[in-house]
Amino acid sequence: MNTDVPVVPAGEAGSRQGRLPPLLEVADITKSYGGVQALKGVSLSIAAGEIHGLVGANGAGKSTLIRILAGLTQPDSGRIRIKGEPVSIPTPQRATDFGMSFIHQELAFVPSMTVLQNIMLGLPKKTRFGMVDWRSIARDVAPVTARVGVTAPLDANVKGLSTAENWLINICRALMRNARLIVMDEPTASLAAGESEKLFGIIQDLARSGVSILYVSHRLDEILRICHRVTAFRDGRSVAALSADSLTRHDLVDAIVGHAVQPVMKSSVAVGRGDIVLSVEGLSRFPRVKGVSFDLRRGEVLGIGGLVGAGRSELARLLFGADRTDGGQMTLAGQPFAPKDPAAAVKAGLGLVPEERRSDGLVLTKSVAFNLQLSNLKAIQRNPVLPFIDYRRRASLSQTMVRDLAIKTADIDTPVGRLSGGNQQKVVIGRWLLRLPKVLILDEPTRGVDIEARGEIHRLMRVLAERGMAVIVISSEPDELPDLCDRVLVMVEGRLVRELEGPSLSRAAIIEASYAEKLSSEDRALV
Amino acid sequence: MSETSAPHRRLSARFKTGLGIVANYGTIIGLLGMMLAFSIVSPKAFPTINNFVNVLNQASLAMIIAAGLTVAVAVGELDLSIGFAASLHGILVTGLIVSNQLPISIAILIVMVVGAGIGFINGLIVTKVHVNSVIATLGTGTILTGLAFAYSAGVPIVAGVPDAFLSISLGRWLLGIPNNIVIMVVVVGGLWLLVERTSIGQEIQAVGGNPSAARLAGISVDRIKILGFVVSGVCAAITGILLASRLGSGTASAGDSYLLTAFAAVFLGSATLRDGEFHILGTLIGALIIAFGFNGLSIFGAPTFSQYVLQGTILIVAVGLSSLGRTIAES
Repeated sequence: MNTDVPVVPAGEAGSRQGRLPPLLEVADITKSYGGVQALKGVSLSIAAGEIHGLVGANGAGKSTLIRILAGLTQPDSGRIRIKGEPVSIPTPQRATDFGMSFIHQELAFVPSMTVLQNIMLGLPKKTRFGMVDWRSIARDVAPVTARVGVTAPLDANVKGLSTAENWLINICRALMRNARLIVMDEPTASLAAGESEKLFGIIQDLARSGVSILYVSHRLDEILRICHRVTAFRDGRSVAALSADSLTRHDLVDAIVGHAVQPVMKSSVAVGRGDIVLSVEGLSRFPRVKGVSFDLRRGEVLGIGGLVGAGRSELARLLFGADRTDGGQMTLAGQPFAPKDPAAAVKAGLGLVPEERRSDGLVLTKSVAFNLQLSNLKAIQRNPVLPFIDYRRRASLSQTMVRDLAIKTADIDTPVGRLSGGNQQKVVIGRWLLRLPKVLILDEPTRGVDIEARGEIHRLMRVLAERGMAVIVISSEPDELPDLCDRVLVMVEGRLVRELEGPSLSRAAIIEASYAEKLSSEDRALV
Repeated sequence: MSETSAPHRRLSARFKTGLGIVANYGTIIGLLGMMLAFSIVSPKAFPTINNFVNVLNQASLAMIIAAGLTVAVAVGELDLSIGFAASLHGILVTGLIVSNQLPISIAILIVMVVGAGIGFINGLIVTKVHVNSVIATLGTGTILTGLAFAYSAGVPIVAGVPDAFLSISLGRWLLGIPNNIVIMVVVVGGLWLLVERTSIGQEIQAVGGNPSAARLAGISVDRIKILGFVVSGVCAAITGILLASRLGSGTASAGDSYLLTAFAAVFLGSATLRDGEFHILGTLIGALIIAFGFNGLSIFGAPTFSQYVLQGTILIVAVGLSSLGRTIAES
């Protein structure tokens, strides 16, 4: 059965079940979205009762595989077998029929319904005289909730319950559907230490009773602790199927990073260090940003690395006054800085290129010129008091920017929504160049941008820094930061855990720090 | 992103261009076609300068209130209080002149300030208390109706309205152009300049187009939204004053019907020239369609109820065209 699965040999947990084929087996799955190949051939097998870890950097293809298993998208090629039978999963309903259940970070609940109603959501319900017999259903559900350890009463509203409790309720839901495989995506991301412990106990108990778990997480310590076997994805391929017995943290990081790590060639020679422009002290917004402190200097490109969900975008929003802080102080050019909204931050000298340029950066139906001038309208007024626009000035400023940034557009009146991703991004950046803020924050500036535009955007950031601007660039791609940045701060779970500079700054170092040792338990308890 | 555009990919390019023309120019074609049809059927009564001036004169009040509403809708909010507000303003201005013996100019000034204040309160409720604008303005509109009845004790203020006040709406200016038309041109022209030619207008369009992007570009979204409600409130006041002057009385429900007319004009306008975007010029064309439609109906002696049927139909068709335009613009 397994001879045609080249990458993943049958693991120990599989053989433990005797001659039975694995519960789930996927082989050579490929999938591309548009021109981007998200999966270039992944394979994976999970035995009944196995806790199987799935690890990989952002964009390695984990989510794509889960979407395929859940019936949300179809693979381009490859095989899926359940108990040895070749199957296809065209719809989420089929995935449920095959006994697969999926629990995500954003838990799907109807907040106004009770625990019991949520557990039974979408399931056929017992009726009595044509009415749903909730009392009898509750008698059926009670042993399941007791087993999983749900402490909330069945008739409680789910709205007020903790994330941990919600996870447990979701597990009950899966069990009521007779799930044989539960896929858990970052289960402990928003759990406190004690709650995670409890969850591990339940997972191990489920596995002993024959339920398989696919445990997807960035938290390598947890993977090492509870998983029987681990599959690592890198760049859309499954690169390793490892038995957890002899596995070390170092092995996992190696598998995730890859061995072919190129030594980084720094482009800029000397770091022109200017005065401190922005000083951040203990900035917090719980639970996503916790006590972040750093200094930013004129003429510096500062990278902020880390995994998705580490709190980097949230940090940017705090700096920019887009969200309220729970604590901490900032000084901008020596003055206390506490922007009450982005308008105040812009006035004080900040600029932000947001992560989601289509939803947060641009008015898509409006022209290139309109979008370019949005943050600098005062400069194109005929006179400071009367707000009439000087259209000639508007056109010449816009045309200059289009030329300088090599924005590919028919003309400045073209709706910006018709431009390609890279050119749209240049419009958002160009908006700030017209204003020249003291500090420019770019959140994932090259995501979804083609190679050529990506290089141009990188060069632009360097030029801006050389002219004395302080640039903060946030990126989930560890590849992007080392060449670009003078200094990189790595965030893990809302905290800055590492500052990398000079020779210590490398792709591998950023990844390694992103998977930094878990925070001490006192820290976790604060969450 | 590919998911959202998927349904439109099925439309052929030529079909889409065709739809785009219908969506963009349909209202103008409809207006001209309707005028042509009325001219053919009723060549003596319809296509005369007198009739056109008359129609414009009648439509001016609706155009002013609809232009104000356009600004509120352009910032992404709805203002359902305008019709009720216009009723209240009519009563208030006649009351201040007749009962309180205030000079006409002072009375008008007070009412316009009240109109601005109502808009400001609407804006605060929507932006600071985060009440959906439909609910917020339905609430304030209902309160205003209550206030109108309270102020007038349910009895229309008819007696003692001075001629000077009546002549505001009934008078004529140079070349015999009715005052209403002159006032409408000034107000609507001013709003067009504000929205299309000023930096504030750019902010209005940005907030309406994508509030999240506008905010992160450093625009004070709340202030712009409040401004939209204030403009809408002031225009409701102007319409209320002119209505009282035309009717020669203040009645507690006189202005209510302007709500529907204004919405129909605004949404017809959004389907005009610019893919589903709200703009002053479009609103003006929308208001003209409604005005000439009514005029044609009354020339043919159609019963009153048909006006309601026409207006309701126009509103639905208008919103349909407008969302069609937006769908095409996004695909």
